Amino acid sequence: MAYSEKVIDHYENPRNVGSMDKNDPSVATGMVGAPACGDVMKLQLKISKDGIIEDAKFKTYGCGSAIASSSLVTEWVKGKSIEEAGKIKNTAIAEELALPPVKIHCSILAEDAIKAAIADYRSKQN
Amino acid sequence: MNYFELFGLDTSFNLDTRNLSETYQKLQKAVHPDRFAHASSQEQLIAVQKSAMINDANQTLKKPLKRAEYLLEIRNTVMPNEQASFSDNSFLMRQMELREMLEEVKYADDVYTAIFEATQILDQEYELLFSSMQIQLGENTQESNLSACDNLRKLKFYEKLHIELDRLEEQLLDD
Repeated sequence: MAYSEKVIDHYENPRNVGSMDKNDPSVATGMVGAPACGDVMKLQLKISKDGIIEDAKFKTYGCGSAIASSSLVTEWVKGKSIEEAGKIKNTAIAEELALPPVKIHCSILAEDAIKAAIADYRSKQN
Repeated sequence: MNYFELFGLDTSFNLDTRNLSETYQKLQKAVHPDRFAHASSQEQLIAVQKSAMINDANQTLKKPLKRAEYLLEIRNTVMPNEQASFSDNSFLMRQMELREMLEEVKYADDVYTAIFEATQILDQEYELLFSSMQIQLGENTQESNLSACDNLRKLKFYEKLHIELDRLEEQLLDD
């Protein structure tokens, strides 16, 4: 199976790889995994007081498509409000990266990672 | 007839895998094409299909995780979609740590010791999950089957870690 150019680009030059302090109250952490392929994805968002995502970092252990999906998501969420980020759909990720059907679950994982991070942020606020 | 019944076994998780290969040989012999050389094409087809089923059964029963999955399927335990995301936070954090540990192996001063230690850690954690799954499958209640299913999904992550480690070991030995 051939990877699209965009996947290869994100895979070879992943954006925003790294970690933030998960105990920082302004940092939201989303952890998701896929038992089928053993992929593990961590997405962290630094969120300002007015709910804007100022920075995003990811760390993903998985295939090229999973890495590309999470790398792309970090680019997309920066500057967005958490409400806007929560509306990012896996279909948009899959379309942007031209993922083949067998790799759609990688984009689902990335969408779920955003949702998990937002849920973590909300629970930290309360 | 399910795979356990096909092999003349009780439909339960614990079984002797040594008897399994004996039964497999015996069953396959009975449907060997040589025995059907003069049979009708209909009978030949049935024999081929049966042989394929015996093969599938053997593959499923001899691998513990596949056997567990099959057993849960028979018990109508609804498995979450294979592709569905898993979101047990502390478990996933641990998975991250283990992946990081594997990444560090190749930079270790003593690579062989590092591989040995990594293998031990993975085996220990695998065994722990495996034995709880084993107990839960033995209880066979709706609740215990669901817990077994959860542990099975976790075990699949360890299966992948083992594959990673094997690949790493091969790479290092080649160099």
